[in-house]
Amino acid sequence: MTQTRAITLNALSLYAVALVLAAAYAAQFILQELPCPLCLLQRILFAALAVGPILNIRFGPRPSHYAMSLLAAVAGAVASTRQVLLHIMPGDAGYGSALLGYHYYTWALLGFITAIVLVAAILLFDHQFEENKAVLPATGGAFAQTAVWLVIALTAVNVVTTLLECGFGACADNPLVYELLKHAA
Amino acid sequence: MEFTLLFLATTIAMLVAWRGQRPLALGLFGAVLIACVATYLHHATDTLKLSF
Repeated sequence: MTQTRAITLNALSLYAVALVLAAAYAAQFILQELPCPLCLLQRILFAALAVGPILNIRFGPRPSHYAMSLLAAVAGAVASTRQVLLHIMPGDAGYGSALLGYHYYTWALLGFITAIVLVAAILLFDHQFEENKAVLPATGGAFAQTAVWLVIALTAVNVVTTLLECGFGACADNPLVYELLKHAA
Repeated sequence: MEFTLLFLATTIAMLVAWRGQRPLALGLFGAVLIACVATYLHHATDTLKLSF
């Protein structure tokens, strides 16, 4: 696999992270379901998954960048497994709505496991790590740059919406209202 | 509040990765990851009611 191809795959992974963050927002705003603390932690770890690909696009693919994504994915898988186990009792309706039969934290677990497998798979291709800066377009080209700014923008918007939801105190275990908007009303 | 700060720190780590120095981005990412694990452990103190 060439560096250019690896960078395209890294850009695609950023679009995938952006899709996950956008889907979480769809549940939050369309279904009016506020994310719980564990849900927010999983979102943060999905966003953290993107730091490795951003570095790969800017500096070229390196094993250390992929290792960062692996660490974030393992941490995310642990957090989502915890939430799956919290709702595993028979009769437990789970937290929030189900999408295609699975709750969001179950989808998150599948997403993190998929990320681990895909990162391990791309690490199999050693050719991408050979120094060849002439092949690398500066900062990856428009396709990759759009992916980077999209995922950064979605993460930045999460700063604002999480502040609105949790306020300046601890986030509620089962949040029903935006704390800051409640105080403002 | 801790989740807001974690999102903010992740955003900064991404911006540094894209525009700043690589070692700083690596350090920020490490700090975010450690903070995430600490937050997880802080919130994971409830007893799990498992069905087996």
